[in-house]
Amino acid sequence: MSAGWRLVDLASRLLERNEREAVLGDLTETREPPGAAVMGVLGLALRRQADPWKSWRPWLAGFGVALPSAYLLMGASLSVTWSYMRLFCPELLAQASLTKPSAVLVLLWHMFLLIGWSWTGGFVVGSVSRRTLWASTLLCYSPCLRCLWLFRIESLSRFCLLLFLLPAIWGVHRGLRMSGMRLASALIVALSLTLLMIPTWSDGHWRWWSAPQWTWNWALTLPAWYLVFTAWRARTDSGASGREVTINQ
Amino acid sequence: MLGEFEYLLITAAAGLGDHAYGAAIREEIETTTGRRCSIGALYTTIDRLESKGFLITWMGEATAQRGGRAKRMVRLTPDGVHAAKDFYKAVTRISRNASWTSNRIGGSSL
Repeated sequence: MSAGWRLVDLASRLLERNEREAVLGDLTETREPPGAAVMGVLGLALRRQADPWKSWRPWLAGFGVALPSAYLLMGASLSVTWSYMRLFCPELLAQASLTKPSAVLVLLWHMFLLIGWSWTGGFVVGSVSRRTLWASTLLCYSPCLRCLWLFRIESLSRFCLLLFLLPAIWGVHRGLRMSGMRLASALIVALSLTLLMIPTWSDGHWRWWSAPQWTWNWALTLPAWYLVFTAWRARTDSGASGREVTINQ
Repeated sequence: MLGEFEYLLITAAAGLGDHAYGAAIREEIETTTGRRCSIGALYTTIDRLESKGFLITWMGEATAQRGGRAKRMVRLTPDGVHAAKDFYKAVTRISRNASWTSNRIGGSSL
């Protein structure tokens, strides 16, 4: 195989298996010059990558969920780490006016929220736009790398910012395999996350003109409610088509 | 309604019949129109037409001429034939009074 055709072969790896087979076969059959063949294959790969971006889905997954959630979830990860550290430091407990059992409760509350937010965000990213997952991943990791670089708290490991990654990856994995959740499950998750957020909303410190950073985390419940909406819509659609079938029969 | 390139592709596939596959369709379009047809345009259009239900495709046999690689075979569906006929009729109708058509009604050709 010549160097030119090696390049064609390499470029063709950007295509799906069957398409790669057909395209390489066509190029061999028509004895395309290697330069034109590389350009043809790269052109097709580029069209394939650009095609999904005509829809709103990759924009929602990447810029609506992955990028903003990464910032907020790093803050939430840090918050979980502080809640954990507080358990072993009586001064911090006293500062927060918490007893040890209530501090454990707060830690569990924060952990549940972090896992719920990360999982639902990951699920939406995975299920909404599978073909552009690479872009959503890049958009999630780029603020992470920036914050890891800028992290300057000596008593904490910088990797505590990334506590959200594991449940988020788990959510993406589930989202890739399923197109949506069942309505009942989605409702339970969304309601639990919302109810757990309410104590933060009504803690007495919140003012609309000086909202603390924690209130931004309300945005993290949106993926859970999006899942409720899609599950409800899927149920309504299947109900409608079921009724149509009955009428036609 | 079909686009111009979609019509060319469907018509080339119809002409090739059971021998319609990527390279053959591409060669047919290039030979008859004298225009270059890129692999990217060909395969993305085949996919679009397939998603509209105008074509079906499947992986065919591999030949030595193709370095042992399979062909992506193409066949028109009745919907595809219908869409191509509609396009052809529309082009014929809109062209009937144009100066370059040989059977122009009530006018001399240039």
